[in-house]
Amino acid sequence: MDLAKYRNLFLEEATEHLAEMARALLELEKEPARGESIDLVFRMAHSIKGMAATLGYDGIAELAHGLEDHMDGYRAAGRVAPEGLGLLFRGLEGVERMVEAVRETGEAPASAPAELLAELTAPGRAEGAGPPKKVLRRP
Amino acid sequence: MSRVLIADDASFMRQMIRDIIEAEGFEVVGEATDGVEVVERFKELHPDVVMMDIVMPKRSGIDAVKAIMELAPKATVVMCSALGQETLVMEAIQAGARDFIVKPFKPEAVLTTLRKVLEKDRS
Repeated sequence: MDLAKYRNLFLEEATEHLAEMARALLELEKEPARGESIDLVFRMAHSIKGMAATLGYDGIAELAHGLEDHMDGYRAAGRVAPEGLGLLFRGLEGVERMVEAVRETGEAPASAPAELLAELTAPGRAEGAGPPKKVLRRP
Repeated sequence: MSRVLIADDASFMRQMIRDIIEAEGFEVVGEATDGVEVVERFKELHPDVVMMDIVMPKRSGIDAVKAIMELAPKATVVMCSALGQETLVMEAIQAGARDFIVKPFKPEAVLTTLRKVLEKDRS
């Protein structure tokens, strides 16, 4: 794999995604039930998770996964809890800092900030948590 | 040479799949960035295989599989999923997708899955 090529693609696309997520969170501040914005933050976090995992940036993947799962709860609930927005902004900033580290050093931090990750993944932090994960067998 | 349509909203992922499969002689006939565009491109290009992300804007990968199956019940669709999307993958398989690959992609797994579904089509 041409790591430099994919790293550049990651930096470019993750930066765009983070900007879109920030805009969507600002919209959710004004309109917590704006489904389009909830969906967008979820999708962008999902996308960053996939790209980061592919490049072995496990810390970024972990934090993006935490954000994605957190947003999935809000997707199920159909609205973001206004008191939960602060955590979402902090999660976003956490991912931004880690992406910036990749830009500056060429490497990603080995792990996500533990406290932030724990807050995002704490049971019941977002309303409407999904069902337990199932094991998948190939057809 | 098998003709492949790639649908993923992330250009990173589209590029990665393209690089993996073109190196092995597959032809990428088109790309789509959302669940609406992939159905349009499917109608236009008639690919042998669609590699379809599950989470996409405008229309989910699952809804896009359903739409493609209505157009062409024998179409071959491989879902591109992430860990934790098991329920969604099962829904896609029930909707008619043939198989799935899991991100982060391992080139060998992508190629083995692609060859397997194409082999089934020929038999």
